[in-house]
Amino acid sequence: MKKNIHSYTLFLAAAIWLLSSCAKHPDVPSSSKEAKCLPAIFPDYCDVTIPCNIAPLNFMLPAVEYESCVARLTTPDGSQQTYGKGVKVQIPLQEWRDMLDASKGKSIKVEVWGQKEGEWLSFIPFEIHVAEEPIDEYLSYRLIEPSYVAWTYMEIAQRNLTTFEETQVFNNEITMNDREKGQCINCHSYQNYKTENMLFHVRLSNSGTVIVNDGKVSKVNLKRDYTISSGVYPSWHPTEKLIAFSTDVTRQGFHTQNPNKLEVYDEASDLILYDVKTDSVSVVSEDPDLLEVYPTWSPDGRYLYYCKSVPLPEEMRDKDIRTTYPKIQYNLYRRSFDVKTHAFGDEELVYDAAVQNKSATLPRISPDGRYLLFAQGQYGCFHIRHNDGDIVCMPLDQGFPLTQGIDLSKVNSEGRPDSYPSWSSNGHWMMVASRREDGNFCRVYFSYFHDGKAEKAFMLPQEDPELNTFLLKSYNRPEFMVEPVRISVSEFSKVFDK
Amino acid sequence: MTTNNLYKHRDTKIQSSFLKASVPLYLCVSFDLLFGVAVLLFFGLAYPHHLHYQEQYQLFLFDSTYAWEIIKQPGGTADLLGRFCTQFFLYAWVGALIIALLLSAVQLLTLRLVGRGWLYGLSFVPSFLLWLFLLDENALQGGVWAVLLTLLAAFVITEHKDTKTQSGSAKCEEAKRSIRRKYFVSSCLCVPLIILLYWMAGPVCFPIPIDSLWLDAHYYRYPTVFPWLLWAASISVFVIVGLVLLIRHRLKYFSHFSPLTSYLSFALVAVVMGTLVWKDANFKAEKVMQYDFMATHQQWNRILETVNAEKPNNQIGVTVQNLALAMHGMLLDHMFEYNQNGIAGLLPDVKEDATSPMPTAEAFYQLGMVNVAQRTVFEAQEAILDFQKSGRCYKRLAQTNLINGQYEVARKYLMALRKTLFYRGWADETLPLLGDEEAIARHPEYGRLRQYAYKEDLTGDFYFSDRVTPEMLESLYYTNTDNRLAYQYLLAYYMLTGDRERYNQFMSRKQ
Repeated sequence: MKKNIHSYTLFLAAAIWLLSSCAKHPDVPSSSKEAKCLPAIFPDYCDVTIPCNIAPLNFMLPAVEYESCVARLTTPDGSQQTYGKGVKVQIPLQEWRDMLDASKGKSIKVEVWGQKEGEWLSFIPFEIHVAEEPIDEYLSYRLIEPSYVAWTYMEIAQRNLTTFEETQVFNNEITMNDREKGQCINCHSYQNYKTENMLFHVRLSNSGTVIVNDGKVSKVNLKRDYTISSGVYPSWHPTEKLIAFSTDVTRQGFHTQNPNKLEVYDEASDLILYDVKTDSVSVVSEDPDLLEVYPTWSPDGRYLYYCKSVPLPEEMRDKDIRTTYPKIQYNLYRRSFDVKTHAFGDEELVYDAAVQNKSATLPRISPDGRYLLFAQGQYGCFHIRHNDGDIVCMPLDQGFPLTQGIDLSKVNSEGRPDSYPSWSSNGHWMMVASRREDGNFCRVYFSYFHDGKAEKAFMLPQEDPELNTFLLKSYNRPEFMVEPVRISVSEFSKVFDK
Repeated sequence: MTTNNLYKHRDTKIQSSFLKASVPLYLCVSFDLLFGVAVLLFFGLAYPHHLHYQEQYQLFLFDSTYAWEIIKQPGGTADLLGRFCTQFFLYAWVGALIIALLLSAVQLLTLRLVGRGWLYGLSFVPSFLLWLFLLDENALQGGVWAVLLTLLAAFVITEHKDTKTQSGSAKCEEAKRSIRRKYFVSSCLCVPLIILLYWMAGPVCFPIPIDSLWLDAHYYRYPTVFPWLLWAASISVFVIVGLVLLIRHRLKYFSHFSPLTSYLSFALVAVVMGTLVWKDANFKAEKVMQYDFMATHQQWNRILETVNAEKPNNQIGVTVQNLALAMHGMLLDHMFEYNQNGIAGLLPDVKEDATSPMPTAEAFYQLGMVNVAQRTVFEAQEAILDFQKSGRCYKRLAQTNLINGQYEVARKYLMALRKTLFYRGWADETLPLLGDEEAIARHPEYGRLRQYAYKEDLTGDFYFSDRVTPEMLESLYYTNTDNRLAYQYLLAYYMLTGDRERYNQFMSRKQ
């Protein structure tokens, strides 16, 4: 009997412990010491402005310093809820959505307590501002190790930004017919944020460009006798079945000391225009001495923006790339485009980066056509590998060449690469790929943009905030989409059987 | 499942003389032990570096996400069990013991199906075939587990069959009906059980050599290679059981066979298969792996003892030999007493595979070319063809990032290593070093390599493609003239290329 009572007590204690550990809403500590600083939460969501449809901003306190974390979120209507399990704060999706709905155009107040060596600390509360403008529902990126030359498994994935759902668009394993040769997949691109017309490249084994035209998948070879390579960096015309590509002879070099570690450069690059309907390739620009790269269309499709290198000083022109690479700089140009005749107009200098001893790449025009976003570093065309790589935004209403930029100090990081900028379809959210956390692994950041002002950038939220720490992959080439890619991996793979 | 159960012979129920236990139980145990000891000694003494090689191309994490990603694939359970076992291969004798136990278990389960009759020797065939399979450094333990799981399932099914046999002798009609009903239900359960088995063990449980089936399972490091030996091991069980059933029907022809035949069948299988194992073993590769292992563990004295006993004639061996000579300050005086292979034996070009760059990366690291070492190790890891990660590579990537002052990146690798069984201790010791500049400066290895590393203010950065040049070594030496390794490698470079002019230029500049 005594034994039974003992077992029953143990069972009851275990059940109570289990139930209490499963509780979603912990109590706020009854007593705590004021920390007089903002909590060092990861990711940093203090005083950020977020879309009204984003997934829960789960966060955590550093596990090496704290034992527990409790957060109390208060919406403008006065309702409160607490969260926290261990050092992590993970908010259920529906409760978070209710909070966003109640806070649209206003703010959610967040109070955080952290338990350190048995003592609770209360931090200065912060606010999460909820913008009225939503963000595009989907985002796609390539998940890849931040590699040098070799690579292993890679995938193009799509993420629903309103939830944590991530699905695969394609992977490099499914259609590889030569494992030793490998297969690289890259440069996914969409027409006007939609997925009925899209593309991505497959290199080496089973190579080609996979193009989706009105939902129909095909694989094409964009290399022509008169082009230096097949198409590389793409940009879909916003309304026509046309894609501008750069063609590139790309190489890599490695540093022995420089923290940038490696340099990606083009030995040659031109621009081409691919007509999806007729499978024809025409050359847009092929200056034999200069490098043209990263084409992008204006939202009305009347201009093609691109980067072009500045001629090297005479005495450097025949020198080895090991000497000249820090001197290669790109300016931004544009050419008008006649949709009916497919004729391009004369070249216009949009932004003279070289005059400021800078190099500008990856231009993107805002959907309203009023702003130009691009990456800038001191030299080269691959700023995601440059610690001085930053994002620049310039209003287009000031006459060319542009000179006046907008303050993006809340978007850029200090001394870490920021690159690959883009706009959401409503023009209110900037997206940046950045290695700011550790200098090596790229993560995605968003910043609210309103009336020419950019707010503090925040990291793509994850269901488990620690994923951003442990994931040994980079988010490469993040692109907004307003709808998911509906073609399955196996459907894509069928075009490789033909 | 007890040993007695395993050895329990069904011939008391089956009226067949050929299956009679002609080999006594104690001899069965002895033969099985003999086989296990042979496997243990082979892998422990003759093949230990193949086990180290296996271990260094995987990173088993005690992490639910990692486990789920593996287990959800067909054959995932076998794969996970295989990976779990492979982590112990860091210690070759433990690895050898694990393999010995697995192969012995396969033999015991096959014996359960074959019986101790005159076909007793055939019960060793699947285990020997698996042994042959494991001689290949790219054969994975998951394959062995797949066969074992399948045999376990077969064991359970035959036990179930025994129950059915008993039902036949039931006198009462009602009891018979009840047993038949139970049999029907359990037979229906067989379908999901087979699906479950496929999910756990993969296509080994179905002897169908279809590429698309096999390519999904992680039995071999090269997914495009069909592991025919594993398939042979799997199918041999079916063939042997089929043979037993066939003979059972033709009993009268075989009933006169003497019990001695059982011993002969064992001896025949042991001699033939044992010879095949010995002949098929790749001792040349074992030697290369030994050099790589010694370089990994910085056993410079042992390397010199080994090269003095037998001069290496392969690229990895020569690279490691030269590194060991340089670590002892003997490279310039003694390099030509050993085999040389030009620059390819000093600092070979980094190739796109997972094995050959590793000793070169060790040389880069010891020289103080930290970025180059990091790149080389990273590339090698990316070249692992079954997309696995490597504990050895993670460790070196953490070290190079620590030396470079990229603490957050180092932390990522260290935190991953903390989820392992055997690298956790090292990761725990290293984590406090992150950001502690003084401790790093005092550290005998990291402090020295930081002093040796290229410094922008002294010699400038060097920008290179894929090949290490003498300029890079010269620049490294002038960054820190205490770097005797760089000095030796630079002069060795000139000597091996016969570049007297630059050798003289360097010497005159030095003076």
